[in-house]
Amino acid sequence: MNDVILFAHPIFGMLGVLASVWVFVEALNASEANRSRIRIAAFIVTGCLVVAWALGGYWRLAFYASEKAIILKGPWPWAHNFVMETKERLFFIPLILALYLPIAAAANLARNGGARVVVMVAAAFIALNGLAIEGAGAVISYAVKVASVHAGVAGVE
Amino acid sequence: MMSVTPASDAAATPADDLKGPAAGFGLAAAIAILFNSLLAWEPLNAYMVSLGGDFWRTHGVAAVVAFFVLGYLFTYHKFRIDGFRLAVLLAAASIVAGGGLALWFALV
Repeated sequence: MNDVILFAHPIFGMLGVLASVWVFVEALNASEANRSRIRIAAFIVTGCLVVAWALGGYWRLAFYASEKAIILKGPWPWAHNFVMETKERLFFIPLILALYLPIAAAANLARNGGARVVVMVAAAFIALNGLAIEGAGAVISYAVKVASVHAGVAGVE
Repeated sequence: MMSVTPASDAAATPADDLKGPAAGFGLAAAIAILFNSLLAWEPLNAYMVSLGGDFWRTHGVAAVVAFFVLGYLFTYHKFRIDGFRLAVLLAAASIVAGGGLALWFALV
């Protein structure tokens, strides 16, 4: 079950990134016809990032302490000191933007150019931050493996 | 004498204005994003641990609560802003806050 949570957390993050790209493209082509689709996509972004927060938060609080100890003993301590420390705080930027997205998308984007640009900017920064955070997660995960190999744990390779 | 209006302002129309929750929560998002980065200041960690048992849990809840409380207050006070300016504000806040976090942890 814990492995499911571990993998579900970046999966929901990536689904949120994909949905934010969807919002960006729909807002770029905003019209009366896709108004409800933009709102639905915006709510999907929010839902995915809130679930990613809950799952990642559970993992972070329940299991990360032991992984942190492994990383700090290995050859890549910066994977915690820089990458994880930044990642776990950076996450709240796209989360806040995702919470705001459905509120901004409630406006008629076809008629309000300002609201349309706001939605596009919020969606773009959710996607860019999300990709950076996914990459950071990969580095942290790999740092555990590198540290385990370095410590001579059998079967990690 | 004619007044000179910047091209960006000349292009903006009242139809581009944001009001209500879209404006209030938009400004709140920009402020909460910057506030989130300020919470990374290490001396706050012990205090956040005392509040929520783990600094990260308190950090996240504080950032999200700040967003909702400020958003409600700005909306209640009928805050209004040009959408293009709000977009620039959100982009600037995200870049400064994200870059600031990375720089902070690269240096400490």
